[in-house]
Amino acid sequence: MKWLLISTLICVIMLIAFALTEQYKDKFDFYNNLKIFLNQFKINLSFKQEKVNEFLSKTECKKQFKIFIDEYKNYLKTDNLSFEKIKILEQNERLQLENIVKCIGKYNAQSEIEQLDSFILDIDEKLKKANEDKTKLCPLIIKLSLLFAIGLAILLI
Amino acid sequence: MLKEYLPRDIYNLIIKNFSFNDITEIRMRANENIIIVVKNKKFYLKDDNGNYIKANAFLIENFVRRISENSIYAYNNSIINGYITLPRGIRVGLCGFVVKEDNKIITVKEFQSVNIRIPHFIKNCSLAAYDFLVKDSEVKNTLIISPPGSGKTTFLRDFVYQLYAHNISNNVLIADERNEICSVVKGEAGVNLGGFCDVYTNCSKKFAFKNGIRSMRPDVIVTDELDLEQDLPYIIETINCGVNVVATIHAKNIEQLSLKHGFDSILNNKLFSRFVVLSSEEGPGTLNNIYDEKLNCIYCR
Repeated sequence: MKWLLISTLICVIMLIAFALTEQYKDKFDFYNNLKIFLNQFKINLSFKQEKVNEFLSKTECKKQFKIFIDEYKNYLKTDNLSFEKIKILEQNERLQLENIVKCIGKYNAQSEIEQLDSFILDIDEKLKKANEDKTKLCPLIIKLSLLFAIGLAILLI
Repeated sequence: MLKEYLPRDIYNLIIKNFSFNDITEIRMRANENIIIVVKNKKFYLKDDNGNYIKANAFLIENFVRRISENSIYAYNNSIINGYITLPRGIRVGLCGFVVKEDNKIITVKEFQSVNIRIPHFIKNCSLAAYDFLVKDSEVKNTLIISPPGSGKTTFLRDFVYQLYAHNISNNVLIADERNEICSVVKGEAGVNLGGFCDVYTNCSKKFAFKNGIRSMRPDVIVTDELDLEQDLPYIIETINCGVNVVATIHAKNIEQLSLKHGFDSILNNKLFSRFVVLSSEEGPGTLNNIYDEKLNCIYCR
């Protein structure tokens, strides 16, 4: 019974640890998807010039990036824009996203491409930071949690 | 019709005070009263307390953003030409700051005023002229003349439909440079022009006339708003190919048209055998006169 309790405890701690690492992975995926999205939109401007709503409807997405796309579509319909639902982002990151969304579609193709280049550079920085966090913090959290779980197990034994 | 583009309060006031079917124009200028044109009469838009409703730069900017579906880049060619076409043939004229690079217009920004022109489909409005323009199932080369807003396009649309209704199974190629005649949105025409039409939308007359003859084998080419100086060579070439042309041009009457550069060439080459003069005296599309190739009046109102 005691061993069962200890192993359950270790499992729970490790599950929490993996859950904690998930946000770093999600953030990396989000910025990666955003970069791909902006790059694809840039290509769209150079060739097909599909309208924003047509382009959005063809964008495949999941998880946090889906919230971004849904909010973007909602903004096109209602003029209301908020990325509060994207929990993995900090407030300044949300504001930056809002700024990007509000700027897209306001200029001719050439100006849009120049503007997108600058956005992509910014997103690239965010992506690097998210990648660093993911590669450094995720293993660290797992290791610390494992140590914590083992320590707790020893104490309980 | 304009519900999704205009601010809700302004749209509600318009439908409350006017019948949409009668409105021909809505004009919005920054910091000026909004004007509604109904049957050639101008009215200011007022709220329930009788106060005039003014437009402002923000409202106009937002309106343009909405009609361009938040995608100015996709409409830039159209914006450079000064308009955006909406479904059902509604044409929005745009005025603002013209941006140039190397002496070439690259876009228009900071929109200052818009003119929303709502077309009206007047069924059978070309019927009185029909027998003068079609003989033995052959459409005569026809130039439709009228000042802006006098129903040239309405007449043209109805004439094309009448060809279909009279079972004249000519292939009609429509060179719709401003997407006004057919109002094609996502590949589907917004107006019923019958079953014998092929449409080039948003293309130059040069492209439509040259490529159209080769690829679509038309019997008749229909186009709007000729620029004699620029388009005359293509008209001559087309007519010499045995394809008939029905076109419109801006002028008040034949005398005014004769002052235009290139008119001598039309007469000397006998390019058009019918000149139809329209006015808005009794509403847009009023048929005033029809002239033959020697400018003899064969129909007078």
